[in-house]
Amino acid sequence: MLALRLLWRNWRSGEVKLLAIALALAVTVVSAIALFTDRLESTLLEQSNSLLGADRLITSNQRHQPEWQAEADSRNIDTSQVAHFASMVFAGDEMHLASIKAVAPRYPLRGYIDLSEQPFATSGPSVERATGIPPVGEVWVDSRLLPLLHISLGDSLQIGEHSLTASKVIVSEPDGSGPFSVMGARIMMNWADLAKTQVIQPGSRVEYQWLLASSPETLTDFITWLEPRLTEHEEIVGIENAQRRLQGTLKTGRRFLVLAAVMGVLLAGVAVALAARQFASRHVNQVALLKSLGVQAARIRFLYLAQLVSLSLLAAFVGLLIGFAVQELIAVAVHRLYQIEMAPARLQTFVLSLLSGPVALVGFALPSLWFLPTVAPIKVLRQDMPINTGAAVWQIAMACAVLILLVVVFGRDLVLGATVLVALLVVAALAALLAFGLLSLGKKAGSQAGSRWRLAIASIQRRRSASVLQVVVFATAVMLLLTLTIVRTSLIEEWQVKVPEDAPNHFVLNVAPAQVEPFKQLLDSNQLGVEQLYPMVRGRLTHINGELKPEDTLNREASLTWSDTLAADNEVVAGLWWDEWPASATGLAGVSVEVEVAGRLGIELGDTLTFSIGGLQAQAEVASFRTLEWESLQPNFYFIFQPGALDDYSPMYMTSVYLPPEQKSFINTLLSRYPTIVVIELDRIINQIRTIVSQVSDGVGLVLLMVLLGGCLVLVASVNGSINERKQEAGLLRALGASRSLITGGVWTEFAILGFAAGIIATIAAEALIIGLQIAVFEVPVQPHFVYWLATPVVTSLFVAAIGAFSCRHAVNTPPAVVLREAA
Amino acid sequence: MAYMIQAEQLGKTVTTASGDLTILQDINLRVEKGESLAITGASGSGKSTLLGLLAGLDVPSQGRVLLAGENLGELDEEGRARVRAERVGFVFQSFQLLPGLTALENVMLPMELGGQKNAEARAKEYLAKVGLEARVHHYPPQLSGGEQQRVAIARAFACEPEILFADEPTGNLDSATGNTINDLLFGLNAEAGTTLVLITHEERLANRCARQVQLAAGELLISGAAAEL
Ligand SMILES: Nc1ncnc2c1ncn2[C@@H]1O[C@H](COP(=O)(O)OP(=O)(O)OP(=O)(O)O)[C@@H](O)[C@H]1O
Ligand SMILES: [Mg+2]
Repeated sequence: MLALRLLWRNWRSGEVKLLAIALALAVTVVSAIALFTDRLESTLLEQSNSLLGADRLITSNQRHQPEWQAEADSRNIDTSQVAHFASMVFAGDEMHLASIKAVAPRYPLRGYIDLSEQPFATSGPSVERATGIPPVGEVWVDSRLLPLLHISLGDSLQIGEHSLTASKVIVSEPDGSGPFSVMGARIMMNWADLAKTQVIQPGSRVEYQWLLASSPETLTDFITWLEPRLTEHEEIVGIENAQRRLQGTLKTGRRFLVLAAVMGVLLAGVAVALAARQFASRHVNQVALLKSLGVQAARIRFLYLAQLVSLSLLAAFVGLLIGFAVQELIAVAVHRLYQIEMAPARLQTFVLSLLSGPVALVGFALPSLWFLPTVAPIKVLRQDMPINTGAAVWQIAMACAVLILLVVVFGRDLVLGATVLVALLVVAALAALLAFGLLSLGKKAGSQAGSRWRLAIASIQRRRSASVLQVVVFATAVMLLLTLTIVRTSLIEEWQVKVPEDAPNHFVLNVAPAQVEPFKQLLDSNQLGVEQLYPMVRGRLTHINGELKPEDTLNREASLTWSDTLAADNEVVAGLWWDEWPASATGLAGVSVEVEVAGRLGIELGDTLTFSIGGLQAQAEVASFRTLEWESLQPNFYFIFQPGALDDYSPMYMTSVYLPPEQKSFINTLLSRYPTIVVIELDRIINQIRTIVSQVSDGVGLVLLMVLLGGCLVLVASVNGSINERKQEAGLLRALGASRSLITGGVWTEFAILGFAAGIIATIAAEALIIGLQIAVFEVPVQPHFVYWLATPVVTSLFVAAIGAFSCRHAVNTPPAVVLREAA
Repeated sequence: MAYMIQAEQLGKTVTTASGDLTILQDINLRVEKGESLAITGASGSGKSTLLGLLAGLDVPSQGRVLLAGENLGELDEEGRARVRAERVGFVFQSFQLLPGLTALENVMLPMELGGQKNAEARAKEYLAKVGLEARVHHYPPQLSGGEQQRVAIARAFACEPEILFADEPTGNLDSATGNTINDLLFGLNAEAGTTLVLITHEERLANRCARQVQLAAGELLISGAAAEL
């Protein structure tokens, strides 16, 4: 308890305040980012899960077993169920083969159903969020069903033996299903009405889905329990096999936040280390005194450790509170802007965030404090005794180790951590070199320059090692800021490039060969551009080189197409495209396979693939592997055949179209002219992705703020280290007749010079780091950022000068008499 | 027997950038229990170095020191710390108070570290003895130099050491203040019967001690009564 008493006294005298603030900031950064990332991740996952309507679903051709339900209930797992089937629906003389979904109460467990009373609305005031499922006797329908059946909302339609009222249109629903599987217009009805329709008879094709939602651990446990009980009819569907494009976004977003977190922590760490150094230098005398009083080294070490650990825990607690508040603010903003309720953070994230305080202490503060108990007691008699502060190598090594630990624990990404560290070493080396260059240059310039410059350069030279350290620190801070800004901008820009304003926002499927020409003409007469029409047949891969294909991949029908041109976002990574491919020796047609699926199936170039297409067999030889852009929202195919290869299998055609919002009603015209055509409204998916990108970008805004704060604290801490010395110098200079404005000007100039040097180094290092990141992590093309080359040194110079002057204001403003008396 | 301090053939050589430097050599000294000894000498003659060796703050290059019968040379750093904690008190020229602690806390600190129960009462008692009962909650920067040294004296005596080492206790004070501090020091010393080793360059002060020795260029010049006894 003595340690706590000592801590309280140290706190009161302000000796540990800077250290405490720096530690709290480290924890604030870690916890704000970790909590936000955690929540974002859960939210994105939930949103992706909202595509399923649940965290997991069990699909089957029969209803789930009552005992499973009982087990799920006993584990407090939320459940609901859905029956999917196709059925003819009638309204007067019109009919349509609709895709019907009967939903039980509580559907959906994840995500929302958005409804409107205005057909084809995609957003705006008419869109409202459903609070339950369709009431008994009512159905909610896909807008396009209305023109197909020539009805309006409020009219009734007939499903089997039961008549129901179409009360609302569905704007978006979970499990809108992949673009290629929705063949008929959607009708959503209440499970309670299902029996009355009498549509489902023994032998009807129905897919039952049992929806599950709970915490990941509970679900994993339950699935483990359930799996042995499943028959070959049941399949567990999770997000992995649901929507790949959201995953891509999630991964990039996560990496980005991790990167930001590493940098934020690093900055806070630098501040902690500087504060610790100051603490150490102030406590050398105290330790010597304690030793002369007969306190043993081990006891001193314990006393200090106990103080510092308690301090770090306290600081961590405060930091966690602030970090929580900060990310909560963002979450509230996200909620207000996008109507997205962010998922709560997990307990373990709170605990880990709290522990990051002591960890930061161990990594950044303890190494520079470790020597304290070894201060010789003779120091009380001889002030000028040099002290051995321990090898800097160990201090740096320790900081790196802790940084890596934090990256691994919070980011689970080593490549990123390593990239950042290497960049930092480069910065440190560069900064040291440049700073020394500056010093020797300054010697020459100093004699000719004006008095303000002379003062500044003299000050830099007097504190040579402190100046070098300051340049290194400023450069690091600015590099981090710069990197984050640029990466953030390019992340968002990348998305804007990928989803250009006039990108096709609708898929048109199921165009019969005879309809192709009239369809093109219809588009043309409405001033709508026509993209390539892809022929498409549904087929199942059955054999590879005559052997049954592996069972675990691609167990469903895939869309097969042929084309002589390679789509712009496809790229052949192995083998040859048709224009160079020598015809197969066996006379088989060629097929180009998406590279990832080929990897999973173990397909190699030259293999013979057998497909089952509508009961017929088709063989093809693998000619090339392709990569695709899942994010591009263009029609994408795992398998592309040589032109003409599938002519015999009665293909239907598909394409994508751009419809400006005011021409949305064109869908009406199209569907009433060609009722069998299927239109998928991609603009909704695009909106969803945009939302996610904005969320990530909000997170980044938060991170930038924290990094900026960390940078400021580092500046203040490093200037603080020299503040007493500066006070005396300023007092002496003023006593000798220097004006206050000269001294102030000198300070501004000094920090402006340091800031300029730091800005230059930061620009170079940030470019290097970004190039590394673009190549290794984000996999985007390398681009220089010229705007920043000029702006960075200037802005940094001003900023550092301002902060430096602010930190030194007492040193400059204290009357010389006071300074000299204090110095005596 | 019964010497409180016994130094034999003591020497100190340090290695500097410009070669080895012998600060002290061949020092033989005995101080009896309750005796007061003044060490005088020019600046740089090695007084503080000798004090550091006698108190076990530093280790000699040659010879040995016996403090209250314990051979410091046979003890490690921790052992010497224990001896200091049990028997030794210090008063320094630069006071060596912790600026963040109040006068009371400064006096209490060594007793707290020693795990004494009645630290606060004792500290108050000794602060009263040095005439600072009204200033117990003040911080060192709020006190004058003389007042700070009183606090340091209270801190030293509150632990009831057997030996008190004082290195120019009035070196930073004007002569009037210095005189009252000296009175206080000698008064408390007489009262407690503490063995005193005092460094000073003031003859008047040295003369208040029972015995004086003089250092010159690292060697002991015997003066007054037979130091070599
Ligand atoms: N560790 C050391 N390294 C180098 N020189 C030292 C060391 N310790 C002492 N000296 C030198 O030894 C000489 C004696 O020092 P010491 O402090 O003992 O003198 P002093 O008699 O106390 O002087 P003053 O009256 O000024 O306090 C000085 O010249 C000092 O610089
Ligand atoms: Mg001395």
